[in-house]
Amino acid sequence: MAYHNQYRPPYNSAPPDQGFLWNIFQRVDKDRSGAISDSELQQALSNGTWTPFNPVTVRSIIAMFDRENKGGVNFNEFAGVWKYITDWQNIFRTYDRDNSGFIDKNELKQALTGFGYRLSDQFYNTLIEKFDRQRKGQVAFDDFIQCCIVLQRLTDVFRRYDTDQDGWIQVSYEQYLSMVFNVV
Amino acid sequence: MSFHYGQGYGGPGNNYPQQHPPPGAPYGAGPSPGGPAGGQYGGSAPPGGAPYGGATAPPPGGHYGGGAAPGAPYGSYGPPGAGGQYGPGAGGAPGGPGAPYGGYGQPHGTPYGHHPHGNVPPGVNPEAQQWFQSVDTDRSGYINLKELKQALVNSNNSSFNDETCLMMLNMFDKTKTGRMDLFGFSALWTFLQQWRALFQQFDRDRSGSINSNEMHQALSQLGYNLSPQFIQTLVNRFSPRGRQGAMYLDRFIHVCTQLASMTEAFREKDTARSGNVKMNYEDFLSGAITRLM
Repeated sequence: MAYHNQYRPPYNSAPPDQGFLWNIFQRVDKDRSGAISDSELQQALSNGTWTPFNPVTVRSIIAMFDRENKGGVNFNEFAGVWKYITDWQNIFRTYDRDNSGFIDKNELKQALTGFGYRLSDQFYNTLIEKFDRQRKGQVAFDDFIQCCIVLQRLTDVFRRYDTDQDGWIQVSYEQYLSMVFNVV
Repeated sequence: MSFHYGQGYGGPGNNYPQQHPPPGAPYGAGPSPGGPAGGQYGGSAPPGGAPYGGATAPPPGGHYGGGAAPGAPYGSYGPPGAGGQYGPGAGGAPGGPGAPYGGYGQPHGTPYGHHPHGNVPPGVNPEAQQWFQSVDTDRSGYINLKELKQALVNSNNSSFNDETCLMMLNMFDKTKTGRMDLFGFSALWTFLQQWRALFQQFDRDRSGSINSNEMHQALSQLGYNLSPQFIQTLVNRFSPRGRQGAMYLDRFIHVCTQLASMTEAFREKDTARSGNVKMNYEDFLSGAITRLM
Protein backbone atom coordinates (compact mmCIF):
# COMPACT_ATOMS: atom_id res chain seq x y z
CA MET A 1 0.00 0.00 0.00
CA ALA A 2 1.50 3.29 -1.00
CA TYR A 3 1.14 6.03 1.53
CA HIS A 4 2.87 8.73 -0.38
CA ASN A 5 -0.10 11.03 -0.87
CA GLN A 6 -1.11 10.85 2.69
CA TYR A 7 2.26 11.15 4.29
CA ARG A 8 3.98 13.83 2.36
CA PRO A 9 6.03 16.25 4.38
CA PRO A 10 4.42 19.64 4.71
CA TYR A 11 6.76 21.22 2.22
CA ASN A 12 6.61 21.22 -1.52
CA SER A 13 9.75 21.57 -3.58
CA ALA A 14 9.94 21.66 -7.35
CA PRO A 15 10.63 18.25 -8.88
CA PRO A 16 14.28 17.81 -9.85
CA ASP A 17 15.54 17.31 -13.37
CA GLN A 18 15.09 13.73 -14.64
CA GLY A 19 18.66 13.42 -15.89
CA PHE A 20 19.98 14.53 -12.53
CA LEU A 21 17.80 11.96 -10.78
CA TRP A 22 18.79 9.20 -13.17
CA ASN A 23 22.44 9.83 -12.37
CA ILE A 24 21.75 9.55 -8.68
CA PHE A 25 19.59 6.48 -9.13
CA GLN A 26 22.34 4.67 -11.00
CA ARG A 27 24.89 5.50 -8.36
CA VAL A 28 22.66 4.37 -5.51
CA ASP A 29 21.54 1.18 -7.27
CA LYS A 30 24.89 -0.47 -6.66
CA ASP A 31 23.94 -3.97 -7.76
CA ARG A 32 22.32 -2.59 -10.95
CA SER A 33 19.12 -4.46 -10.23
CA GLY A 34 16.92 -1.61 -11.40
CA ALA A 35 15.55 -1.16 -7.90
CA ILE A 36 17.01 0.49 -4.84
CA SER A 37 16.84 -1.68 -1.75
CA ASP A 38 16.75 -0.67 1.91
CA SER A 39 20.46 -1.16 2.36
CA GLU A 40 21.36 0.65 -0.86
CA LEU A 41 19.28 3.62 0.17
CA GLN A 42 20.64 3.56 3.70
CA GLN A 43 24.21 3.69 2.43
CA ALA A 44 23.39 6.61 0.18
CA LEU A 45 21.68 8.71 2.82
CA SER A 46 23.34 10.95 5.34
CA ASN A 47 21.76 12.23 8.52
CA GLY A 48 24.46 14.86 8.79
CA THR A 49 26.03 13.41 11.93
CA TRP A 50 28.44 10.76 10.58
CA THR A 51 26.34 7.93 11.96
CA PRO A 52 24.43 5.42 9.82
CA PHE A 53 21.00 6.59 8.71
CA ASN A 54 18.23 5.10 10.88
CA PRO A 55 17.38 1.79 9.13
CA VAL A 56 13.82 1.91 10.40
CA THR A 57 13.32 5.31 8.77
CA VAL A 58 14.74 3.87 5.54
CA ARG A 59 12.33 0.94 5.74
CA SER A 60 9.39 3.27 6.38
CA ILE A 61 10.28 5.42 3.38
CA ILE A 62 10.81 2.49 0.99
CA ALA A 63 7.51 0.95 2.11
CA MET A 64 5.71 4.20 1.33
CA PHE A 65 6.83 4.31 -2.28
CA ASP A 66 7.26 0.63 -3.13
CA ARG A 67 3.99 0.01 -4.90
CA GLU A 68 4.32 -3.67 -5.68
CA ASN A 69 5.82 -4.66 -2.35
CA LYS A 70 8.99 -5.77 -4.13
CA GLY A 71 11.31 -4.64 -1.35
CA GLY A 72 12.75 -1.67 -3.20
CA VAL A 73 11.94 1.31 -5.39
CA ASN A 74 12.33 1.58 -9.16
CA PHE A 75 13.36 4.77 -10.91
CA ASN A 76 9.87 6.25 -11.07
CA GLU A 77 9.27 5.53 -7.42
CA PHE A 78 12.70 6.83 -6.55
CA ALA A 79 11.69 10.27 -7.81
CA GLY A 80 9.07 10.25 -5.05
CA VAL A 81 11.60 9.07 -2.46
CA TRP A 82 14.04 11.78 -3.48
CA LYS A 83 11.43 14.50 -3.23
CA TYR A 84 10.16 13.15 0.06
CA ILE A 85 13.59 13.23 1.67
CA THR A 86 14.50 16.59 0.15
CA ASP A 87 11.30 18.12 1.44
CA TRP A 88 11.96 16.83 4.93
CA GLN A 89 15.51 18.09 4.70
CA ASN A 90 14.31 21.57 3.84
CA ILE A 91 11.96 21.52 6.78
CA PHE A 92 14.62 20.21 9.11
CA ARG A 93 17.08 22.91 8.08
CA THR A 94 14.55 25.60 8.80
CA TYR A 95 14.39 24.47 12.40
CA ASP A 96 17.99 23.43 12.90
CA ARG A 97 19.11 27.05 13.03
CA ASP A 98 22.64 26.41 14.23
CA ASN A 99 23.18 23.73 11.58
CA SER A 100 24.19 21.22 14.23
CA GLY A 101 22.40 18.34 12.55
CA PHE A 102 20.11 18.08 15.55
CA ILE A 103 16.99 19.85 16.69
CA ASP A 104 16.22 20.32 20.34
CA LYS A 105 12.91 20.15 22.13
CA ASN A 106 11.95 23.74 21.44
CA GLU A 107 12.79 23.44 17.77
CA LEU A 108 10.85 20.19 17.54
CA LYS A 109 7.92 21.92 19.18
CA GLN A 110 8.08 24.78 16.70
CA ALA A 111 8.26 22.36 13.80
CA LEU A 112 5.35 20.18 14.87
CA THR A 113 3.28 23.18 15.91
CA GLY A 114 3.92 24.52 12.43
CA PHE A 115 2.54 21.28 11.00
CA GLY A 116 -0.65 21.76 13.00
CA TYR A 117 -0.06 19.58 16.04
CA ARG A 118 -1.10 20.93 19.41
CA LEU A 119 0.68 18.87 22.00
CA SER A 120 1.61 19.40 25.62
CA ASP A 121 5.07 20.26 26.81
CA GLN A 122 5.29 16.95 28.59
CA PHE A 123 4.50 15.12 25.40
CA TYR A 124 7.52 16.72 23.74
CA ASN A 125 9.69 15.22 26.46
CA THR A 126 8.28 11.83 25.52
CA LEU A 127 9.01 12.44 21.85
CA ILE A 128 12.59 13.55 22.47
CA GLU A 129 13.21 10.60 24.74
CA LYS A 130 11.82 8.16 22.19
CA PHE A 131 13.30 9.50 18.98
CA ASP A 132 16.65 10.64 20.29
CA ARG A 133 18.44 7.56 18.96
CA GLN A 134 21.88 9.03 19.54
CA ARG A 135 21.05 9.93 23.15
CA LYS A 136 21.99 13.56 22.89
CA GLY A 137 18.77 15.03 24.23
CA GLN A 138 18.08 16.20 20.67
CA VAL A 139 16.75 14.62 17.51
CA ALA A 140 18.80 14.03 14.34
CA PHE A 141 17.39 14.34 10.82
CA ASP A 142 16.65 10.65 10.24
CA ASP A 143 14.99 10.26 13.62
CA PHE A 144 13.02 13.45 13.04
CA ILE A 145 11.51 11.94 9.89
CA GLN A 146 10.67 8.76 11.79
CA CYS A 147 9.07 10.79 14.57
CA CYS A 148 6.90 12.63 12.04
CA ILE A 149 5.93 9.39 10.27
CA VAL A 150 4.88 7.76 13.54
CA LEU A 151 2.90 10.82 14.61
CA GLN A 152 1.16 11.00 11.26
CA ARG A 153 0.24 7.32 11.30
CA LEU A 154 -1.06 7.43 14.84
CA THR A 155 -3.01 10.61 14.18
CA ASP A 156 -4.46 9.11 11.06
CA VAL A 157 -5.62 5.94 12.78
CA PHE A 158 -6.99 7.94 15.70
CA ARG A 159 -9.05 10.02 13.29
CA ARG A 160 -10.57 6.93 11.77
CA TYR A 161 -11.91 5.88 15.14
CA ASP A 162 -12.83 9.37 16.32
CA THR A 163 -15.87 9.50 14.09
CA ASP A 164 -17.55 12.35 15.97
CA GLN A 165 -14.31 14.31 15.98
CA ASP A 166 -14.37 15.27 19.62
CA GLY A 167 -10.81 14.16 20.32
CA TRP A 168 -11.89 11.10 22.27
CA ILE A 169 -12.23 7.50 21.20
CA GLN A 170 -13.66 4.43 22.82
CA VAL A 171 -12.07 1.23 21.63
CA SER A 172 -11.95 -2.43 22.54
CA TYR A 173 -8.74 -4.26 23.30
CA GLU A 174 -8.38 -5.69 19.80
CA GLN A 175 -9.23 -2.39 18.19
CA TYR A 176 -6.58 -0.72 20.29
CA LEU A 177 -4.00 -3.32 19.33
CA SER A 178 -4.79 -3.01 15.65
CA MET A 179 -4.40 0.76 15.95
CA VAL A 180 -1.01 0.67 17.56
CA PHE A 181 0.34 -2.18 15.44
CA ASN A 182 0.08 0.35 12.63
CA VAL A 183 3.27 1.93 13.82
CA VAL A 184 5.13 -1.17 14.97
CA MET B 1 -10.34 19.36 27.32
CA SER B 2 -10.48 21.09 24.02
CA PHE B 3 -9.72 19.27 20.90
CA HIS B 4 -6.66 20.56 19.21
CA TYR B 5 -5.12 18.19 16.87
CA GLY B 6 -5.42 18.90 13.26
CA GLN B 7 -6.85 22.32 13.73
CA GLY B 8 -3.78 23.95 12.45
CA TYR B 9 -3.75 21.78 9.36
CA GLY B 10 -5.84 24.28 7.51
CA GLY B 11 -4.02 27.28 8.86
CA PRO B 12 -2.36 30.09 7.02
CA GLY B 13 0.48 29.28 4.75
CA ASN B 14 -1.00 25.99 3.76
CA ASN B 15 0.05 25.47 0.21
CA TYR B 16 -0.31 21.72 0.02
CA PRO B 17 -3.98 21.10 -0.13
CA GLN B 18 -3.89 17.44 -1.06
CA GLN B 19 -2.39 16.20 2.12
CA HIS B 20 -4.31 18.21 4.66
CA PRO B 21 -8.01 18.78 4.93
CA PRO B 22 -9.24 22.17 3.86
CA PRO B 23 -9.73 24.94 6.40
CA GLY B 24 -12.85 24.59 8.43
CA ALA B 25 -12.84 20.84 8.26
CA PRO B 26 -10.14 19.82 10.69
CA TYR B 27 -10.12 16.28 9.50
CA GLY B 28 -12.29 13.48 8.45
CA ALA B 29 -14.45 15.48 6.10
CA GLY B 30 -14.73 13.49 2.97
CA PRO B 31 -12.98 10.25 2.27
CA SER B 32 -9.56 9.87 3.74
CA PRO B 33 -6.87 9.58 1.12
CA GLY B 34 -5.67 6.47 2.82
CA GLY B 35 -8.63 4.42 1.78
CA PRO B 36 -11.54 3.06 3.73
CA ALA B 37 -11.52 3.00 7.48
CA GLY B 38 -10.17 -0.15 8.95
CA GLY B 39 -8.33 -0.98 5.80
CA GLN B 40 -4.89 -0.57 7.20
CA TYR B 41 -4.18 -4.24 6.90
CA GLY B 42 -5.03 -4.58 3.29
CA GLY B 43 -8.24 -6.25 2.38
CA SER B 44 -8.50 -8.53 5.32
CA ALA B 45 -10.67 -6.36 7.52
CA PRO B 46 -14.23 -7.58 7.30
CA PRO B 47 -16.76 -5.17 5.86
CA GLY B 48 -18.92 -3.12 8.13
CA GLY B 49 -18.08 -0.90 11.04
CA ALA B 50 -16.43 -3.46 13.22
CA PRO B 51 -12.96 -3.98 11.87
CA TYR B 52 -12.25 -7.09 13.82
CA GLY B 53 -15.34 -9.18 13.84
CA GLY B 54 -15.71 -10.62 17.25
CA ALA B 55 -13.92 -7.81 18.93
CA THR B 56 -17.02 -5.79 19.65
CA ALA B 57 -18.53 -8.25 22.05
CA PRO B 58 -16.12 -8.83 24.88
CA PRO B 59 -15.54 -12.49 25.50
CA PRO B 60 -16.60 -13.86 28.84
CA GLY B 61 -14.08 -13.90 31.59
CA GLY B 62 -10.79 -12.20 30.98
CA HIS B 63 -11.21 -9.66 28.25
CA TYR B 64 -7.68 -9.71 27.16
CA GLY B 65 -4.51 -11.49 27.70
CA GLY B 66 -3.16 -12.16 31.07
CA GLY B 67 -6.29 -11.41 33.00
CA ALA B 68 -6.68 -14.91 34.21
CA ALA B 69 -3.27 -16.31 33.59
CA PRO B 70 -1.17 -16.75 36.68
CA GLY B 71 2.21 -15.29 37.14
CA ALA B 72 2.14 -12.16 34.98
CA PRO B 73 2.76 -13.75 31.62
CA TYR B 74 4.37 -10.73 30.11
CA GLY B 75 5.81 -9.06 33.13
CA SER B 76 9.05 -7.56 32.03
CA TYR B 77 8.75 -7.94 28.28
CA GLY B 78 10.46 -11.22 28.62
CA PRO B 79 9.10 -14.49 27.54
CA PRO B 80 6.84 -16.15 30.06
CA GLY B 81 8.70 -17.28 33.08
CA ALA B 82 11.68 -15.21 32.14
CA GLY B 83 11.69 -13.37 35.42
CA GLY B 84 14.70 -11.27 36.14
CA GLN B 85 16.44 -11.59 32.85
CA TYR B 86 18.27 -8.38 33.57
CA GLY B 87 19.67 -9.32 36.89
CA PRO B 88 22.92 -11.03 37.44
CA GLY B 89 22.60 -14.55 38.65
CA ALA B 90 19.31 -15.12 36.93
CA GLY B 91 20.19 -18.73 37.16
CA GLY B 92 21.76 -18.77 33.78
CA ALA B 93 19.90 -19.86 30.74
CA PRO B 94 17.40 -22.63 30.95
CA GLY B 95 19.77 -24.37 28.70
CA GLY B 96 18.85 -26.93 26.18
CA PRO B 97 21.28 -29.73 25.68
CA GLY B 98 24.52 -28.94 23.99
CA ALA B 99 25.17 -25.54 22.50
CA PRO B 100 21.76 -23.95 22.51
CA TYR B 101 22.75 -21.20 20.17
CA GLY B 102 24.07 -23.25 17.34
CA GLY B 103 21.75 -21.57 14.92
CA TYR B 104 22.84 -18.08 15.83
CA GLY B 105 26.18 -18.19 14.25
CA GLN B 106 28.48 -17.98 17.21
CA PRO B 107 31.55 -20.01 16.67
CA HIS B 108 32.37 -23.06 18.61
CA GLY B 109 35.50 -22.93 20.60
CA THR B 110 37.12 -19.85 22.02
CA PRO B 111 37.60 -17.13 19.45
CA TYR B 112 40.25 -15.35 21.46
CA GLY B 113 42.78 -17.89 22.47
CA HIS B 114 44.40 -15.69 25.04
CA HIS B 115 41.18 -15.16 26.94
CA PRO B 116 41.00 -17.75 29.63
CA HIS B 117 37.56 -19.19 29.88
CA GLY B 118 37.24 -18.49 33.58
CA ASN B 119 37.53 -14.74 33.08
CA VAL B 120 33.82 -14.07 33.01
CA PRO B 121 32.44 -11.06 34.91
CA PRO B 122 29.80 -11.89 37.50
CA GLY B 123 26.30 -12.02 36.08
CA VAL B 124 27.52 -12.76 32.58
CA ASN B 125 26.80 -16.09 31.01
CA PRO B 126 30.08 -17.65 29.80
CA GLU B 127 28.53 -18.73 26.53
CA ALA B 128 27.16 -15.25 26.02
CA GLN B 129 30.62 -13.84 26.58
CA GLN B 130 32.07 -16.16 24.00
CA TRP B 131 29.41 -15.17 21.53
CA PHE B 132 29.95 -11.49 22.34
CA GLN B 133 33.56 -11.71 21.28
CA SER B 134 32.68 -13.05 17.88
CA VAL B 135 29.79 -10.64 17.33
CA ASP B 136 31.86 -7.60 18.31
CA THR B 137 33.62 -7.58 14.95
CA ASP B 138 35.16 -4.14 15.36
CA ARG B 139 36.36 -5.12 18.87
CA SER B 140 34.99 -1.96 20.38
CA GLY B 141 33.73 -3.74 23.46
CA TYR B 142 30.17 -2.91 22.43
CA ILE B 143 27.63 -4.43 20.09
CA ASN B 144 25.97 -1.96 17.75
CA LEU B 145 22.95 -2.44 15.51
CA LYS B 146 24.96 -3.56 12.52
CA GLU B 147 26.91 -6.16 14.47
CA LEU B 148 23.74 -7.44 16.08
CA LYS B 149 21.98 -7.78 12.75
CA GLN B 150 24.90 -9.67 11.27
CA ALA B 151 24.88 -12.11 14.14
CA LEU B 152 21.23 -13.13 14.07
CA VAL B 153 19.59 -15.33 11.49
CA ASN B 154 16.22 -16.98 11.10
CA SER B 155 15.61 -20.60 10.22
CA ASN B 156 15.43 -19.67 6.52
CA ASN B 157 18.85 -18.01 6.79
CA SER B 158 17.44 -14.51 6.46
CA SER B 159 19.00 -12.05 8.83
CA PHE B 160 16.87 -10.56 11.58
CA ASN B 161 14.92 -7.51 10.43
CA ASP B 162 15.95 -4.03 11.55
CA GLU B 163 12.88 -3.35 13.67
CA THR B 164 13.45 -6.42 15.83
CA CYS B 165 17.17 -5.73 16.18
CA LEU B 166 16.55 -2.12 17.08
CA MET B 167 13.87 -3.10 19.55
CA MET B 168 16.19 -5.56 21.29
CA LEU B 169 19.04 -3.09 21.24
CA ASN B 170 16.84 -0.52 22.95
CA MET B 171 15.70 -3.08 25.50
CA PHE B 172 19.16 -4.22 26.48
CA ASP B 173 21.16 -1.06 25.94
CA LYS B 174 21.70 -0.19 29.55
CA THR B 175 24.47 2.21 28.60
CA LYS B 176 21.91 4.37 26.75
CA THR B 177 24.34 4.90 23.92
CA GLY B 178 22.66 2.91 21.20
CA ARG B 179 24.84 -0.11 21.76
CA MET B 180 25.13 -2.96 24.22
CA ASP B 181 27.90 -3.76 26.63
CA LEU B 182 28.69 -7.31 27.69
CA PHE B 183 26.14 -7.26 30.51
CA GLY B 184 23.30 -6.11 28.29
CA PHE B 185 24.35 -8.59 25.68
CA SER B 186 24.34 -11.43 28.16
CA ALA B 187 20.78 -10.51 29.15
CA LEU B 188 19.83 -10.42 25.48
CA TRP B 189 21.38 -13.83 25.01
CA THR B 190 19.14 -15.29 27.70
CA PHE B 191 16.14 -13.46 26.26
CA LEU B 192 16.79 -14.80 22.76
CA GLN B 193 17.35 -18.30 23.99
CA GLN B 194 14.05 -18.34 25.83
CA TRP B 195 12.14 -16.97 22.86
CA ARG B 196 13.80 -19.44 20.57
CA ALA B 197 12.76 -22.33 22.80
CA LEU B 198 9.19 -21.05 22.81
CA PHE B 199 9.22 -20.56 19.07
CA GLN B 200 10.31 -24.14 18.54
CA GLN B 201 7.70 -25.36 20.95
CA PHE B 202 4.93 -23.49 19.10
CA ASP B 203 6.19 -24.44 15.67
CA ARG B 204 4.34 -27.71 15.90
CA ASP B 205 4.83 -28.81 12.32
CA ARG B 206 8.57 -28.04 12.53
CA SER B 207 8.40 -25.88 9.45
CA GLY B 208 10.77 -23.30 10.89
CA SER B 209 8.04 -20.68 10.87
CA ILE B 210 4.82 -20.00 12.74
CA ASN B 211 1.53 -19.93 10.86
CA SER B 212 -1.64 -18.30 12.14
CA ASN B 213 -2.99 -21.51 13.69
CA GLU B 214 0.22 -22.00 15.58
CA MET B 215 0.26 -18.35 16.54
CA HIS B 216 -3.28 -18.65 17.85
CA GLN B 217 -2.28 -21.53 20.08
CA ALA B 218 0.86 -19.74 21.15
CA LEU B 219 -0.95 -16.58 22.13
CA SER B 220 -3.68 -18.42 24.02
CA GLN B 221 -1.02 -20.30 25.88
CA LEU B 222 0.65 -17.01 26.71
CA GLY B 223 -2.65 -15.83 28.16
CA TYR B 224 -4.03 -13.67 25.35
CA ASN B 225 -7.63 -13.80 24.29
CA LEU B 226 -7.56 -12.69 20.67
CA SER B 227 -9.79 -13.56 17.75
CA PRO B 228 -8.49 -15.81 14.96
CA GLN B 229 -9.12 -13.00 12.47
CA PHE B 230 -6.96 -10.60 14.42
CA ILE B 231 -4.16 -13.12 14.71
CA GLN B 232 -4.31 -13.99 11.05
CA THR B 233 -4.04 -10.32 10.13
CA LEU B 234 -1.11 -9.97 12.47
CA VAL B 235 0.72 -12.99 11.07
CA ASN B 236 0.13 -11.90 7.48
CA ARG B 237 1.33 -8.43 8.22
CA PHE B 238 4.59 -9.68 9.72
CA SER B 239 5.34 -12.40 7.21
CA PRO B 240 8.23 -11.92 4.85
CA ARG B 241 7.63 -11.04 1.23
CA GLY B 242 6.57 -14.02 -0.77
CA ARG B 243 5.80 -16.13 2.31
CA GLN B 244 2.40 -14.93 3.35
CA GLY B 245 1.20 -16.47 6.59
CA ALA B 246 4.58 -17.58 7.93
CA MET B 247 6.27 -15.70 10.71
CA TYR B 248 9.93 -16.29 11.46
CA LEU B 249 11.69 -16.03 14.79
CA ASP B 250 12.60 -12.33 14.45
CA ARG B 251 9.01 -11.26 13.85
CA PHE B 252 7.70 -13.68 16.44
CA ILE B 253 9.87 -12.00 19.07
CA HIS B 254 8.98 -8.57 17.76
CA VAL B 255 5.23 -9.18 17.68
CA CYS B 256 5.05 -10.94 21.05
CA THR B 257 7.12 -8.27 22.76
CA GLN B 258 5.12 -5.42 21.29
CA LEU B 259 1.89 -7.22 22.06
CA ALA B 260 2.89 -7.53 25.71
CA SER B 261 3.84 -3.91 25.84
CA MET B 262 0.70 -2.65 24.10
CA THR B 263 -1.47 -4.87 26.27
CA GLU B 264 0.12 -3.30 29.30
CA ALA B 265 -0.66 0.14 27.90
CA PHE B 266 -4.28 -0.87 27.37
CA ARG B 267 -4.60 -2.34 30.84
CA GLU B 268 -3.30 0.84 32.37
CA LYS B 269 -6.23 2.67 30.82
CA ASP B 270 -8.78 -0.08 31.35
CA THR B 271 -8.96 0.28 35.10
CA ALA B 272 -12.45 -1.22 35.27
CA ARG B 273 -11.25 -4.27 33.29
CA SER B 274 -14.18 -3.92 30.93
CA GLY B 275 -12.21 -4.61 27.78
CA ASN B 276 -13.03 -1.15 26.49
CA VAL B 277 -11.22 2.11 27.04
CA LYS B 278 -11.94 5.73 26.40
CA MET B 279 -8.96 7.91 25.68
CA ASN B 280 -8.16 11.26 24.20
CA TYR B 281 -5.77 12.03 21.39
CA GLU B 282 -2.68 12.82 23.41
CA ASP B 283 -3.24 9.90 25.78
CA PHE B 284 -3.42 7.64 22.78
CA LEU B 285 -0.28 9.10 21.23
CA SER B 286 1.81 9.01 24.35
CA GLY B 287 0.60 5.53 25.33
CA ALA B 288 1.62 4.16 21.94
CA ILE B 289 4.85 6.12 21.59
CA THR B 290 6.07 5.43 25.11
CA ARG B 291 5.55 1.73 24.56
CA LEU B 292 7.06 1.73 21.13
CA MET B 293 10.43 0.04 21.21
